[in-house]
Amino acid sequence: MDRNVCVVAGGMSKWGVRDGSQRDFFQEAAKACYDDNPLMNPKDIDGLLVASAYTERTSYQTHLAPLVAEYAGIKPKNICARVELLCASGSSAVILAFGLIKSGQADVVMVAGGEKLYTPQKWEVFYSELASVDHDWDGGQGLGLPPPAFAMVAKQHMKQFGTKKEHLGVISVKNRRNAAKNPKAQFQTPVTMEEVMSGRMIVPPLTLYDCCPITDGAAALVLATEEKAREMTDKPLVYLLGTGQASVNNMSANMPDWTTWEALKIASAQAYMKSRVNVDEINVAMTHDCFTISEIIEMEDLGFCKKGEGGFFVGDGQNDFGGRIPTNTDGGLLGCGHPFGGTGIRQGIEVMKQLRGDAIQQVPNATFGLTHNLSGFIAAHTVLVYGKEVR
Amino acid sequence: MSTPGISILEGKYMVTMDLFPQQSKEFNQVTPFYEFLREGRFTTTKCKDCGAEPFPPRVMCPECYSSALEWIDWPTVGTVIDVTEESVGVPLGFGKPPLIHALVDLQGKRTFFVRIINCAAGELKSGDQVKLAVFDVDPVPQEVGREVVQIPRVFYAFEPVK
Repeated sequence: MDRNVCVVAGGMSKWGVRDGSQRDFFQEAAKACYDDNPLMNPKDIDGLLVASAYTERTSYQTHLAPLVAEYAGIKPKNICARVELLCASGSSAVILAFGLIKSGQADVVMVAGGEKLYTPQKWEVFYSELASVDHDWDGGQGLGLPPPAFAMVAKQHMKQFGTKKEHLGVISVKNRRNAAKNPKAQFQTPVTMEEVMSGRMIVPPLTLYDCCPITDGAAALVLATEEKAREMTDKPLVYLLGTGQASVNNMSANMPDWTTWEALKIASAQAYMKSRVNVDEINVAMTHDCFTISEIIEMEDLGFCKKGEGGFFVGDGQNDFGGRIPTNTDGGLLGCGHPFGGTGIRQGIEVMKQLRGDAIQQVPNATFGLTHNLSGFIAAHTVLVYGKEVR
Repeated sequence: MSTPGISILEGKYMVTMDLFPQQSKEFNQVTPFYEFLREGRFTTTKCKDCGAEPFPPRVMCPECYSSALEWIDWPTVGTVIDVTEESVGVPLGFGKPPLIHALVDLQGKRTFFVRIINCAAGELKSGDQVKLAVFDVDPVPQEVGREVVQIPRVFYAFEPVK
């Protein structure tokens, strides 16, 4: 059995520094997801995958999926489990849901991801970050919170390819402008290039607006067989077409290259091959802009521009509306924030809306879209290709 | 009478809140790495069958899957490729900002991204030499039978060669 898989509904809680608990946000996300498609009966959901990376550390809660099922008002009968791949937990859960539905193990799967990252004392979340890298080796070097690693990436990219601080700034301005039009985003105000360039120093060359924030929130997406999807929605069908996820190292000492992300090249090649969609056909992209430099390298290693030209590509407006590949049209991580398990699902929701044609800021005639997450010490990369038609 | 909640944890050790790895044999099979560190040696495991030198040290070769491994010394001096200085967001336990890191070429063995200590802001630059620096970290109060034994620990960073 090899069935087509569609996305039939998606929604998210308000993201930001939120009042409330993890379980509150999962309910808000489920509610927004149900409201997105009133024709869908949540009782038809027969599987649940929950994405959350810090649930044990910041909510002291394991065995999260049955808890979310209970609060979301569903009773899964084919799968009910949690998926963890730090910043790519959400898109990993989408990949697994895709496989389960495609192979006939489930028909309608909800994928819900989110975190309550703010704790009563803020130091704790920074401290917990030391569990996100190889704790025993990189953690002991104080490399938990990622700015030093991405600052080093930015320095090397600037040195090797002539990328400029202003190129990084273009990404901040674009994604904060997009977020300001997205009521669910953490940041509701745009920033100017002047503000960005004079931002508070974090780790040179990265300043405040080069870095995504720490965020509370959740998001949910429902995937179904094409047959079920036709009964469940009157909106244009959006298909998940192909995926790739690659990891070539974990500890920093084993990174093959700091400015060419080998695992991203592998994951994107897999996703393009399996979806039978060429990079030239992709109309809209949600990429992992945890830092501005990341989005620049992603443009290169996803194949939207040549290696080393990413800075100049974004500087020319080529990854904004009207350019080659409008990217992070909902604000990305820099604007929406980044509750780790929620991000891949938030990206899937925005691509779904772009392909349905009802995004807040619509890319005209978008037919194919992709999402990309990186996770850990730039250690794993995840790429998903969605489309309005099946190849 | 103890009160349910965090007050009962006072004075308790929590592995989930420890910055540094467990180094006693009861909790780690690469204990020799830390014993050699105390001698100022930076080591890893080499595969006796295929010659691979993986880092971090292993109990199984990731290339040929052999379990026949031996400890070997690696260089303790490397060359700085580039430096970062973290002024905001330094995790608790790593001192006052800036927290300095450098990408270090360890004589072709690996490119390590490591903490630099005993170094002033702005002091280190590309091309400089850095060397292994070993320091004590908090011991682990480990239960051995009914006793609590303090297990001493060390960890490493690098420092400028002056």
